[in-house]
Amino acid sequence: MLKKVAILYFTGLMILFMSCDRESTSFKVPVEYYKLDNGLRVVLSPSHAAPIVTVAVYYNIGFRIEPKDRTGFAHLFEHMMFQGSSNLGKMEFIKLVQSNGGTLNGSTRFDFTNYFEIMPAHKLETALWAEADRMKGLNITQENLTNQQGVVTNEVKVNVLNQPYGGFPWLDMPQYANENWYNAHNFYGDLEDLKAATLEDVKDFFKLYYAPINAALVVTGDFRSTDAREMVQKYFGEIPATELPSKPDLSEPRQEEEKKVVKEDPLANRPALAFAYHIPERNTPQYYAMGLLDQILLQGADSRLNQLLVQEKSITSSVDGGINMLGSMFNYDGPMLWTGYLFHDKEVSSDSIMTLVNQVIEDLMTQPVDAATLELAKIKMRSGLYDSIDEYFGFGLADLLASFALFDDNPARINMLEMQFRKVTPELIQKTAQEYLRSTNRTILIIEPKANS
Amino acid sequence: MKILTSLSIFFLIVLMAMPLLSQLETPPEGSQPKDFVLPTVKKFSLDNGFKVSLVNYGELPKAVVRIVIGAGNINESKEGVWLADITMDLLKEGTSSMNAGDIARKAAGMGGTVNTAVGLDQSWIGGEVLSEFTPDLVSLLAEILQKPGFPEKEFERLKKDYLRNLNIQKSRPQSLAQEKFLGVLYGDHPYGRFFPSESMISGYTLDQVKIFYGNNVGALRAHIYVVGRFNAEKVEKAIRNSFSTWKAGEESYVNIPEPQSKRMIYLVNRAEAPQSTIYLGLPVIDPTQEDFFPMLVTNTLLGGYFSSRVTSNIREDKGYTYSPRSSITNHFRDAYWVQTADVSTDVTGAALKEIFYEIDRLQNEAPTEEELEGVQNYMAGIFVLRNSSRSGIVGQLAFMNLHGLDDYLSNYVKNIYAVTPQDVQEMAQKYLKDQEMTIVIVGDPEKVPAQVKRFAEIVY
Repeated sequence: MLKKVAILYFTGLMILFMSCDRESTSFKVPVEYYKLDNGLRVVLSPSHAAPIVTVAVYYNIGFRIEPKDRTGFAHLFEHMMFQGSSNLGKMEFIKLVQSNGGTLNGSTRFDFTNYFEIMPAHKLETALWAEADRMKGLNITQENLTNQQGVVTNEVKVNVLNQPYGGFPWLDMPQYANENWYNAHNFYGDLEDLKAATLEDVKDFFKLYYAPINAALVVTGDFRSTDAREMVQKYFGEIPATELPSKPDLSEPRQEEEKKVVKEDPLANRPALAFAYHIPERNTPQYYAMGLLDQILLQGADSRLNQLLVQEKSITSSVDGGINMLGSMFNYDGPMLWTGYLFHDKEVSSDSIMTLVNQVIEDLMTQPVDAATLELAKIKMRSGLYDSIDEYFGFGLADLLASFALFDDNPARINMLEMQFRKVTPELIQKTAQEYLRSTNRTILIIEPKANS
Repeated sequence: MKILTSLSIFFLIVLMAMPLLSQLETPPEGSQPKDFVLPTVKKFSLDNGFKVSLVNYGELPKAVVRIVIGAGNINESKEGVWLADITMDLLKEGTSSMNAGDIARKAAGMGGTVNTAVGLDQSWIGGEVLSEFTPDLVSLLAEILQKPGFPEKEFERLKKDYLRNLNIQKSRPQSLAQEKFLGVLYGDHPYGRFFPSESMISGYTLDQVKIFYGNNVGALRAHIYVVGRFNAEKVEKAIRNSFSTWKAGEESYVNIPEPQSKRMIYLVNRAEAPQSTIYLGLPVIDPTQEDFFPMLVTNTLLGGYFSSRVTSNIREDKGYTYSPRSSITNHFRDAYWVQTADVSTDVTGAALKEIFYEIDRLQNEAPTEEELEGVQNYMAGIFVLRNSSRSGIVGQLAFMNLHGLDDYLSNYVKNIYAVTPQDVQEMAQKYLKDQEMTIVIVGDPEKVPAQVKRFAEIVY
């Protein structure tokens, strides 16, 4: 019987105990970055903590820019990438990964669609071959398309249509808060649009967006970079170069008036409330300040909104949210919202809750934040950053590296983030709050419960 | 090598099915497997029975500290459902010298939060912080556990939150299905009480919480796990300093259920629901039984992973559902198997038919060596992943300790690979008996009964 995993034991003191004192520990991620002749961006980040590797391919096509008469198509297309490619038939990609001891997934987000495998380290080549195979070309039948239209319809039903608060606030809020169609349409898709998709649509979409010039490949985990470089060249190097697809204008106008939307929910029995603000452009000093404002206001039980609305006023059990409800403040490329949301009782009005929210926010606008609060926010941010890097084995790291390769052409940015947050001053926090946490830059979404009890 | 043979056979079949693509490439096999070394655990106990497991693991400067307590919903009375949850939650609300805000800010200053969770047999309190603060988190958790404040005001506030969350949970079809399924299997046993009533929650007093805590939480039932990068000497010192004087308390309370199941459909009405939420399952063997590993493999092959038979059938072939899944849930000396799926309402009956078809097929015919080996490779790979993260390692160790499985981790891979195709068939026959399947459907009462009545008697 072939063993995929050999287990060794040792009882001695072979593990290096890190001697960390009160000195705060800083962490540097190894980053090797280069491009193939066909334009594919490649990032390698070896580490040898566990005998596993993550292979992630990110395509620069998110649901924001899907065709206007085909809402939900970017996500439906993600499903098609598992339905058959040049050398792998339906179910064979998944079986290849799983029967080699790996796990895999794909997801569609604002500005990318990703595919990843987490494999035993010695199966790196298998995963690279398979990803290259589907970048070379798909082989989709009408039967497989129809099947996945059924699966995606059921996905929408289980996550939205048969759920109380379905789509609240992650799917709803961008539609109300944004003005530009690209940022404001239904990303899961109208069921009629999903039904209308054809094999021709699949072919065109693949040709336009699923090319090496529009993608980043990241490998993290237990491997030697010389080996990986060779394999990447061997399997991806021969994929022909194409032209970079053009990108539409995604910009949002400056919001000048508060918006308020009430949505009735026939399945919910308690009201819910969300508020969202447009945030500063990525990678500006204000953007980093906004990240810290999120820590001060919303993240953790110590945050100001949680302390006031949960602890003091007993309005809800938790206020949640953050920047980019479908990811993190690092993995998008366009206008974005900072969103907070909570569930409450019918006896409490949404207006009275918003009065309390205003009170917390106005405090940050009228005076610079105290040094201790800002320091606490920076510690939380650093700890959270390590969590993102560590998330889901090597995948969290791959996600950051792929995003910075695709959107900034600079994955080494990962090692500069701590410094950027460290630079933020109390004055910058105040200025950022004044411009971006204005009530006129805000959309309020109220869920009115219509179910019994 | 066997895997090469199996893949060749696999591709031959594909070649025959698709004559147009005659020059298919064979996927590269990769290189030699690397050794996987289970992390070393440093174990010791304090005189009061408090157990300690320390694991230095990983590269990032963080550590998880979790104190697992042998108490949970199993310790609740019939009139005290969720008392365990409220008690554990209330721990974060204050100690004799700190209020909730102090605790939250203290943890945040370490780069973490204090969290609690309550399970049926075990509960835990813990957090994950930057490495340099690991000993401080140990001390903070010690104070929370040994000097709980149980503040009245926060207790009343939590009751309000629990009432709201109870109502919200009861509006989710998956929760309703689980409630009914567990109620049918476990009846009056604590495992069968999924939700309390509203009046139960409203009526709870702070005295009940204090008594529950006094009876169930103490050093003898507690086990601290520290996993990540940390200064071992300082952490050990912090543990000895802060937990040595904790009262021992009582040993864990044992109450092994006698679950019941027979072929019956329980329909939970959800008017005009676009999907039916299906729970189909029955009691099975627990992790201490000889058939445990063959049964685990059988579950994975049948419905436990994406390439499984049920998922291939009702999702990838028929498109009836998005996220079907089968699983085994383990309790202390008890377990159940369940296949779940949210299927479009109009194919509720068709989905049930296919699920039973796959169970029967496995009972009637052993899987091929190739199919089984794919499952075994997958499970061995996932085993490595499960032991390759800080909280994953804590979970594995706590699982072993709950069930008293000393060599579980060291023999896991060997045991998985020892399973034969005949074992899988035998497990399906022995444990997945069609005639004992409890079926719960949360769905449209107008459209579901006509589709499913041929499978079993319907209880409304």
